Amino acid sequence: MISLAGRDILHGWGKFVLTGVGLGLLIGVTLSMAGVYRGMVDDAQALLDNSRADLWVVQKDTLGPYAEPSSLTGDSERPIQAMRGVAEAVGVTYLTMQIAHGDKDVRVMVVGAEMGEPGLPGQPTHLIAGRHIVRGHYEAVADVKTGFAIGDRVKVRRNFYTIVGQTSRMVSSGGDPMLFLSLKDAQAAQFQKDSDAILRQRARVAASPLLNPPGNPAVALAVNAAQSDNSNVNAVLVTITPNAEPDDVAAAIRRWQRLTVYTRAQMEEILVEKLIANSARQIAMFLVILSIVSAAIVAFIIYTMTIGKIREIAVLKLIGTRDRTISWMILQQALGLGLIGFVVGKIAASLWAPFFPKYVLLLPSDSILGFFAVMLICTLASVLAIQAALKVDPAEAIGG
Amino acid sequence: MAEGILIENVVKTYGSGDTAVHALRGVDMAVAKGEVVGLIGPSGSGKSTLLKCLGAVIEPTSGKMTIGDQCIYDNGWKVRDLRALRRDLIGFIFQAPYLIPFLDVTDNVALLPMLAGKPNAMARKEAHDLLDALDVGHRAAAMPSQLSGGEQQRVAIARALINRPPVILADEPTAPLDGQRALAVVGLLNDMARQFDTAIIIVTHDEKIIPTFKRLYNIRDGRTVEEIPGAPVPEIAA
Ligand SMILES: Nc1ncnc2c1ncn2[C@@H]1O[C@H](COP(=O)(O)OP(=O)(O)OP(=O)(O)O)[C@@H](O)[C@H]1O
Ligand SMILES: [Mg+2]
Repeated sequence: MISLAGRDILHGWGKFVLTGVGLGLLIGVTLSMAGVYRGMVDDAQALLDNSRADLWVVQKDTLGPYAEPSSLTGDSERPIQAMRGVAEAVGVTYLTMQIAHGDKDVRVMVVGAEMGEPGLPGQPTHLIAGRHIVRGHYEAVADVKTGFAIGDRVKVRRNFYTIVGQTSRMVSSGGDPMLFLSLKDAQAAQFQKDSDAILRQRARVAASPLLNPPGNPAVALAVNAAQSDNSNVNAVLVTITPNAEPDDVAAAIRRWQRLTVYTRAQMEEILVEKLIANSARQIAMFLVILSIVSAAIVAFIIYTMTIGKIREIAVLKLIGTRDRTISWMILQQALGLGLIGFVVGKIAASLWAPFFPKYVLLLPSDSILGFFAVMLICTLASVLAIQAALKVDPAEAIGG
Repeated sequence: MAEGILIENVVKTYGSGDTAVHALRGVDMAVAKGEVVGLIGPSGSGKSTLLKCLGAVIEPTSGKMTIGDQCIYDNGWKVRDLRALRRDLIGFIFQAPYLIPFLDVTDNVALLPMLAGKPNAMARKEAHDLLDALDVGHRAAAMPSQLSGGEQQRVAIARALINRPPVILADEPTAPLDGQRALAVVGLLNDMARQFDTAIIIVTHDEKIIPTFKRLYNIRDGRTVEEIPGAPVPEIAA
């Protein structure tokens, strides 16, 4: 047998390859879009993995601490720690903010975790450089994506912090790199009021006969002290003992502490199905449009290629070539175009993925799916051209 | 004499009503197996139309056509797959060669047998032999666009002959050829006819080759008249 499609492509391969490359760039964009979505999911999973928690204890009836604000008093972890099945319970704070670095602003998620043995939930996992926080104040560990180097001093709210260690792939569910502070420092950054606010508040207390009853100055002092308490946390991360069941421990905490508790699976659901759901739909919409555009382009190219060969097709029919052979020729060319496009698109997506500001994760399974989608689209796109070819009247091939 | 082609009272009218063109008004023609006949006539007299009808490229309006002992048309097609009929029974040679531009000379000729499943090497060998016989063997590896008009025409002839069809229909095949080559081609078609019992109709305006025909049909006003062999060739209005 002889491959008419192959021979035709070889004859005008320059044009064919260029068209395939153009299509490939489009496919590359499509694969990248899928990669952006996978990156978002992976960021969320990395966030959960890196917290090394089995349970998240948050303010009652909130979806905290990542999807909704949540606030717990600083002593919430102590009774949890004492419960059966709980290995560790530590308070953490999360605060997303802009931090000046040089002449640029970096968006980071400031994480406050109790100091102690590295490996405690909430603490940064393995460092790629430097050391963990050892002093109670003014030290920070930063993810490399912040761009902060070891020894840099960065200002968070009112205070300067020295970067002592670096992590990698420690990001918030939004992809913002993390900056770890000691819990006390992070609480100060999140809850401390500025001096003017404190002065105003003290003045209000002093002026109130209820809070400042005449003849008992100790009441006002106590009220002021209570109001400047900074020991709140956003969540308590809990690890459980090896033979405990997460669901059982979670149920016990819910019952006895009257707090909301999420297991790993529930947290994943909150992040993936609630927090990034809209972005995911946004991307899905893009994927649909890109697929339609690709299909239209392939259909158009294959159609023009076929119309350009209409005379040859008429001659082929005249000398008795079967419709099957002619259709197969056109289909093969469409598939060939798709193949070139897919290879180019895959390479392009891999090359430009690292330059995206957020993590782009190109899953092999997505590529395989993409490959079959491309082939299916090319097959459908060739239908129009095949129809046109089959309609050609062989009598048109010959003059007289 | 065994009939190769029998055409009886074939009528072809293009269009209908006021704009109808009565290209053939009842043509009769018989070509024996192994015989080469010429078909002449003024421009627009219906020569190409007749070949297209016989070649199952267009459908006649009425009449009867037989190839060998198979009636292919009797006021309607008697064959379901016209394309297979063209492939198996008929070799076409047109005024313009219409080669496939993306196949080289050899594969243009070997295409049909290869598509029919004959091993490529065998089909190409046969193509080479034919190309050699037609004096274009040395251009076997060239692309059609690299050939002269005459060379292209000889390749097209080789393509028509490769399947050894029982009928060859040639519409002004020698138009792009010089006198010498034109005679050579007609000689080759004559050899083909003898060797493979092929019935061949050659439409021509070519004064040089008309005398080589033992039988000659002249078509005018949509009807054929058989010329007396050896009589002076009638004037052809080109
Ligand atoms: N597809 C068509 N539709 C309508 N009329 C046609 C068609 N094809 C041919 N004709 C007409 O039929 C008549 C015969 O045409 P045909 O091509 O058979 O002539 P011919 O003898 O081959 O002429 P020439 O020597 O110039 O090639 C002409 O009047 C032509 O205009
Ligand atoms: Mg003609």
